[in-house]
Amino acid sequence: MIVVLLILHGLLAVALLGAITHQALSVLTVARATNGRWNFVDRFRGVDATAYATPIVVLFAVTAIGGALLYPQYRIDVRPALEDTQNSAANGVFEIKEHLVAIGLGLLPAYWLYWRRLHGPETAATRRYLTWLLAFFVWWSFIVGHVLNDIRGLLPS
Amino acid sequence: MTGRLTIFSILFGVFYLAAFYYDLALFRYYPEAGQFHLLRNDNLGVVILWYGWIATSALASAAIAFAVPRKMADRLWPGWAWIIPTAVVVGMLIYERRWFVS
Repeated sequence: MIVVLLILHGLLAVALLGAITHQALSVLTVARATNGRWNFVDRFRGVDATAYATPIVVLFAVTAIGGALLYPQYRIDVRPALEDTQNSAANGVFEIKEHLVAIGLGLLPAYWLYWRRLHGPETAATRRYLTWLLAFFVWWSFIVGHVLNDIRGLLPS
Repeated sequence: MTGRLTIFSILFGVFYLAAFYYDLALFRYYPEAGQFHLLRNDNLGVVILWYGWIATSALASAAIAFAVPRKMADRLWPGWAWIIPTAVVVGMLIYERRWFVS
């Protein structure tokens, strides 16, 4: 059961990572190429950022709940093993991950509000920086989650 | 409602930082025993405080957000919605340096 939940958690995280990255890049203000041709990055950025807001909120919340359900197993099995091997950096990056996820959960109402309501250009900066903050949280959590999941294979035996 | 939700989001991070720094978990979960407790119980093995910190922050920030008069909340500058959480993250990262220094 825990393996199924772990895989589901990972798949939801992939979807969240894709959605938040699309949105985070879409709010970058970069001058278009003078020849007007769309390269890969232009196409990646050229999405309706507003349409991503609600899916991102749902994915973030559901993925965080999945992580919360997995957490007891981590606390019982993985963390003591990291402590036994004195791998405090691995513990540290996970501690940071759990703080970022918690702070991200708290940010979701404001994030959703500023994307849902068409405030106009006066709140464009707030939307942009809230999105970038969440994108940082998601990228950190994704990378740390995967590294810790695979850490026994990554560390020299 | 805009202002109150923004206040909730701003305060959540601040209260979370305070909750984990001062160990103000609303409750504790002992995964080996599968039990929730309001008070510390060292006989039940490892403890998870994270759920309790989130509950503390959610309750405290919701209480203040709804106590602030709506007109006052709606006058809040939107920039605080990302500036204060960013400051909270920076503060948290500075505190968590302890894991990476010998």
